[in-house]
Amino acid sequence: MHLIADLSCPAMAALSEEVLLVVKRVRQRKQDGTLYLMAERIAWGPEGKDRFTVSHLYADIRQKISPDGKAKIQLQLVLHTGESTNFHFSNESTALRDRDAAKDLLQQLLPKFKKRANKELEEKNRMLQEDPVLFQLYKDLVVSQVISAEEFWANRLSLNNVDHSASNNKQEVGISAAFLADIRPQTDGCNGLRYNLTSDIIESIFRTYPAVKQKYAENVPHNLTEKEFWTRFFQSHYFHRDRISTGLQDIFSECAKQDEKGLRSMVVQGVKNPLVDLLSLEDKTLDEGYGSNSMAPSTSSANKTVKENSNSAIIKRFNHHSAMVLAAGNIGLSPRGPAVKIQEAIEYEDLHMENGKKTVALNLKKSDRYSHGPVPLLPQQYTTSQDIINSVNCIQQEIANYKPCLTQVMSSSTASSAIAALSPGGLLMQAGSQQAINQMVPSDVQGELKHLYTAAGELLRHFWSCFPVNTPFLEEKVVKMKSNLERFQMTKLRPFQEKIQRQYLSTNLTGHLEDMFQMAYNKFHAWQTRQMLRKT
Amino acid sequence: MYQTRTDKTTDETDTFPSFDADDDISRVQANREPQFTLSKCLDAVMVMGNSHLVMTRNNKLAIIASHCQESHFLYPFKLWKSGDGHGDDNPSTSGDGKYELLSVANDIMAEEIKILMSRTEVKGNQTDTLLAGSLAKALCCILFIKMLTGQEIKSRILVIKAADDCALQYMNFMNVIFAAQKQSILIDACVLDSDSGLLQQACDITGGLYLMIPQKIALAQYLLWVFLPDSDQRSQLVLPPPVHVDYRAACFCHRNLIEIGYVCSVCLSIFCNFSPICTTCETAFKIPLPQMVKAKKKKLKPST
Repeated sequence: MHLIADLSCPAMAALSEEVLLVVKRVRQRKQDGTLYLMAERIAWGPEGKDRFTVSHLYADIRQKISPDGKAKIQLQLVLHTGESTNFHFSNESTALRDRDAAKDLLQQLLPKFKKRANKELEEKNRMLQEDPVLFQLYKDLVVSQVISAEEFWANRLSLNNVDHSASNNKQEVGISAAFLADIRPQTDGCNGLRYNLTSDIIESIFRTYPAVKQKYAENVPHNLTEKEFWTRFFQSHYFHRDRISTGLQDIFSECAKQDEKGLRSMVVQGVKNPLVDLLSLEDKTLDEGYGSNSMAPSTSSANKTVKENSNSAIIKRFNHHSAMVLAAGNIGLSPRGPAVKIQEAIEYEDLHMENGKKTVALNLKKSDRYSHGPVPLLPQQYTTSQDIINSVNCIQQEIANYKPCLTQVMSSSTASSAIAALSPGGLLMQAGSQQAINQMVPSDVQGELKHLYTAAGELLRHFWSCFPVNTPFLEEKVVKMKSNLERFQMTKLRPFQEKIQRQYLSTNLTGHLEDMFQMAYNKFHAWQTRQMLRKT
Repeated sequence: MYQTRTDKTTDETDTFPSFDADDDISRVQANREPQFTLSKCLDAVMVMGNSHLVMTRNNKLAIIASHCQESHFLYPFKLWKSGDGHGDDNPSTSGDGKYELLSVANDIMAEEIKILMSRTEVKGNQTDTLLAGSLAKALCCILFIKMLTGQEIKSRILVIKAADDCALQYMNFMNVIFAAQKQSILIDACVLDSDSGLLQQACDITGGLYLMIPQKIALAQYLLWVFLPDSDQRSQLVLPPPVHVDYRAACFCHRNLIEIGYVCSVCLSIFCNFSPICTTCETAFKIPLPQMVKAKKKKLKPST
């Protein structure tokens, strides 16, 4: 309900929001004043002053409590943060009415805003639950006050909102045309029928027949329970095949009338899609009399028999039902013109001419470069061709007299020295004694190191994203991030280093982290000196 | 000073190992170990081959010598040429009661290497062996055996190498390595003289063992200790640990190994220095220049 705002009040003139309700003589903290309910917030200003002392967005309000039966007529608002505000309606005559009016309005408005606020929180919670790494990062950074929660969520929420909206656009489930028929009633033993209603069926009914949905919203839960509503629905003749308007007080008789109206308007509108419009396929002839006889074939029910009437009633209902199912399925689809539909029906993308992007042919001038291997690192020995010839001759002579002598391949001493070289600790086994670092460090230390890296990476990312420092906001942020980095190093990195030193792990696990921090500090100092030079 | 380039490849299958021995015996001989000749190397290979055949009845063996002009199957050669069961045209019992398969194998190997060496033409400028070709032949041999028996057999290739890497065979070599990897054929390497980057890569990619031997006269011992067990047994043994492989790419302009370089996005050729035109595909590139800082306009002060 909209009441005209009292424009004489200066506070109102300054507002650009729409004021929904003004209540005078409302006390807050023992002060007289006026309560204003606006489009997005509720506010209270003391009498005579022109500004609001109390103003809360609907999104912040968690609950409104209006205790009845007390001597004072009050309205209490509880915010998400836990604080509460009390409004005392002190106008003797209209206090109760005012309070109830405010309460009703709030009741209508709060649900709208509630969803929005909760959604963000829900989103954040969901993200933290789904990703344990993110959760750990959050704990490390925000809970220990290294960076603020807004900065943490600044980059992440926007990304995920995009994803989320994309996933929300997933396809909606269509409505089966037989959904009503699928509710097969079962006999209940003693002359009754049992209808099994699932939420899917209910949803289908609501989507197809918005009139029923409206009736539901109006009557449940004020007048009827859900069960009663559906019982009436199935009992009513609206549902049954032969819709004879009995004249009974049936909440659904209105629906029947609305359906008739809807059907008639649909007939008047005609079919939009030229491909399924059967009427346009008829011959357009001049009837008998060459057009001078203007007698359109009548489809009014006055000339028909009773049987024809009931048949036409069923057919009408059938058509109407189908039309509603289709309409419900097409909600949200943009209406497309007839030309577009015809175009889509006659063309296939695959059969079009190939008009791909113009490509440039690969033109290799020196393709043998690919097949040439790298130059060996060690210089090859140079041998003269004479040497080569000599050696080949030697070998040829040797082989000509070759006789395998397999019992004297080598002496036992050479064999044992070879075995010694191949045994653990021997000449050839040196590299194996170096254990991989991940086998020497216990896994909890490794896990901690990983967390440190993630947290440090996050901080460093914030730090480095400030450069180049163009705005005063970035300047502040850079200084803050630098202090955050120092704090992180002090509170997290140093204890970790001491811990691993105590465990006698000689490996330098945190060297790289230290390097990264040092780089950041160097950059900061360079920037700072440049700033100071610029100022002087 | 002797210089031979002979590679021996042995295929071992079910295991079917093929030895690829590439000897640069002469140089080795001149430098360090005078007793180690090609004959000694052949003996060691023979011992290894015999041991492998004796391990299980199903084991098969092939030995390929990789020479400068050809790769030659030292074993089995005659058997396949004249069909199986050739057997006893020349009964070559050694008279010492040895398992006949082994004695036949040894004799064939000795004969073949003599034939190979005798028909070598001496050219003074060739010093590279056809290692890639020998490996390819070994792969074909393995495939042939697989087709013959129709069963899946585990095979590996052992390369005994004395010569240096040949940069010209790089492409073929890499192709062979990847083919072996696809067929799950291990390539082991026993290097006598200097480290071979290509073989290190081959072993790393296919899952085989790479070993550089300090003492060449103990070659047989190293072969038996490290390369005789097949891949399943190797996981139970303490063997020399894998070496660090240098996978750096070589720049196209100098063929130097580089860690950070520039890659042309059109033809993917690697350069060590930036040049605005790629010399392989002649594409021109622009680099964004750093933004020029505009000089502040100085306001002319009105002269008083």
